[in-house]
Amino acid sequence: MEVTITQQENNTVLVQFDGRLDTPSSQEVSQRLTPVEESASGTIILDCEKLSYISSSGLRVFLTLRKAAAMKGGKIIVRNINDNIRSVFMMTGFLNLFEIE
Amino acid sequence: MTDWWKIIIFVYLTPIHMSSKTHLDQHCETIMREYRDNLSWFKESSRKVYGLLQENLDKAGLVTAALEYRVKSEESLTGKLELKGGKYHSLKDITDIIGLRVITFYIDDVDKVASAVERIFEVDWENSVDKRKALEIDSFGYLSLHYVCRIPDSEYRMEIQMRTVLQHAWANMNHDTGYKSGVEVPPRYLRNLSRLAGILELVDDEFSKIRSELTNYRRQVKALVASGNLKDVPLDGDTFRNYLDLNPFNSLNNRIASVNQAEIQEVSLMPYLALFKGLGCETLGDIADMIREYSEGAFQIATFQIGLTDLDIVSSSIGPQNLCLAYLLKQGSGKAGIKFMFDTLNGKSDSNDMIAEMIMEQAKDLPFMNQ
Repeated sequence: MEVTITQQENNTVLVQFDGRLDTPSSQEVSQRLTPVEESASGTIILDCEKLSYISSSGLRVFLTLRKAAAMKGGKIIVRNINDNIRSVFMMTGFLNLFEIE
Repeated sequence: MTDWWKIIIFVYLTPIHMSSKTHLDQHCETIMREYRDNLSWFKESSRKVYGLLQENLDKAGLVTAALEYRVKSEESLTGKLELKGGKYHSLKDITDIIGLRVITFYIDDVDKVASAVERIFEVDWENSVDKRKALEIDSFGYLSLHYVCRIPDSEYRMEIQMRTVLQHAWANMNHDTGYKSGVEVPPRYLRNLSRLAGILELVDDEFSKIRSELTNYRRQVKALVASGNLKDVPLDGDTFRNYLDLNPFNSLNNRIASVNQAEIQEVSLMPYLALFKGLGCETLGDIADMIREYSEGAFQIATFQIGLTDLDIVSSSIGPQNLCLAYLLKQGSGKAGIKFMFDTLNGKSDSNDMIAEMIMEQAKDLPFMNQ
C-alpha cells in the first residue's frame, strides 16, 4: 500500500492511495496520516483513484481523519472512488458522511 | 440571522468637532490634568470591565448584538467641562469617563443584562436612570437603561447603557436629526421621530413575543414527543431533533450490527429529516409507522449486503437508510426512487445511479419483496 501526501496551496493536503487499504496496511497508513490529522484545519483530499479495496480498518482510518477535521474546522473530500468502494461506504451507512466527488 | 442590525449598530455618531480654542477656567484645567494623569489607567480599566462583563454575559447565556466600550476622549471631556464645568468638583464626579454599551436583540434581555450588571458591579442607584420609565404614557422617544457603577477597586465611576438594537437605531437617528444636532428642526420632523419610536417599541415587543411563543412551542413539542402522541406532532427540525433524543432507530441499528458483530459509529441523523419529508412523512407518527412496518425489510437488506462481508463497523444511519430503502422498494418506487433518496442525502450525483441499480438488482432476492 503506497500513500503519497502532498501539501498544496490554500491549506489543502492531497493524500493519494495506491493499493489495498486492508487490516495489515491500515496501521501503517494511520501512522503516515498522523501529521495530516494534526493539521486538519484545512481541506484534506483523499484521492482513491488507485485504491482497489477498503476494509473496516480502512474505513476507520477515514473516520479518524474526518473526526480530526471536524474538530479543527477542516473538511474531507473523497475523490475518484471506484464502484466497489462506493458500495462499501453505502452498505455501512457512511456514504453521506463524506463529501464524495 | 440577517445582518441588518450590523448596519444599524455601525451607524456611529459623527463626532462633534470641537473648536481648537477652548476656554477652560483653572478649576476645569485641574480636572483635565487629573484626566490626563489617569488616562492610561482608565484605558486599562475599561478593557478589564469590558472583559468581566463579557465573561458574565456569556456565563448567563445572554446573546448580545454588540458590547462596546470606550474611554472619553480629551476633546469630548473638554466640551463637557466648557458647558457645565462648574457642576463638577473633581474628575470623580464625572461618571462617563469609561462608557460601556450593551445592545441586545430582545427587549426582555435588557433587564437580564441589567441583573448581570447588578451582580458584578456596585451600582450607584442615585445616578442611574431608567429612561424607559421617564417617558409619559402618551409620549414616545428615547428608551434606554443607564447604570452608573463604581469601577472596581477605585473611587471613579463608569456608565453602562443597555438597550435593544432598535432602541439603539432610534437613538442614533434622533441624535443625528434631533435637538442635539445643533440645527433647528421643524416640529413635524420631531413628530415623525416620535412616531417612529412608537413603532419600534411595538416591533421590539413583537420580536420578544415571537421568541417566547417559539420557546413555548418547543416545550410543548418536547412534552408531546415524550408522552408518545407522535401522530399529533408535525415533522419539522425541532420535533425531529426531539424524536432522535428517544433513539427510535437504536433497536434496528443493534439488530443490523449484530449480523457482523459490528461496532456502531454514532453520526448525526438530521440529514434524514429532508428525506422523511420527501417520502411524505408529515408527523413523527408517520416515521414511527415506517419503523414498525419496514424494520424487517431494512434488516434483510443489511443481511444481504454486509452479511457476506467481514465489515465490522456501521454508522448509526444504517437503520434509517435501510428503512427508507425498504419502504421505497416495497412501494415500487424503482431505481428513480432510490436515486432520489441518495440524491437527497448526498447531493445529486450520477454515481447515485450506480448505487440505485445495484440495490434494484439485490432487491430481487430479498424475501420481504416477495411477501
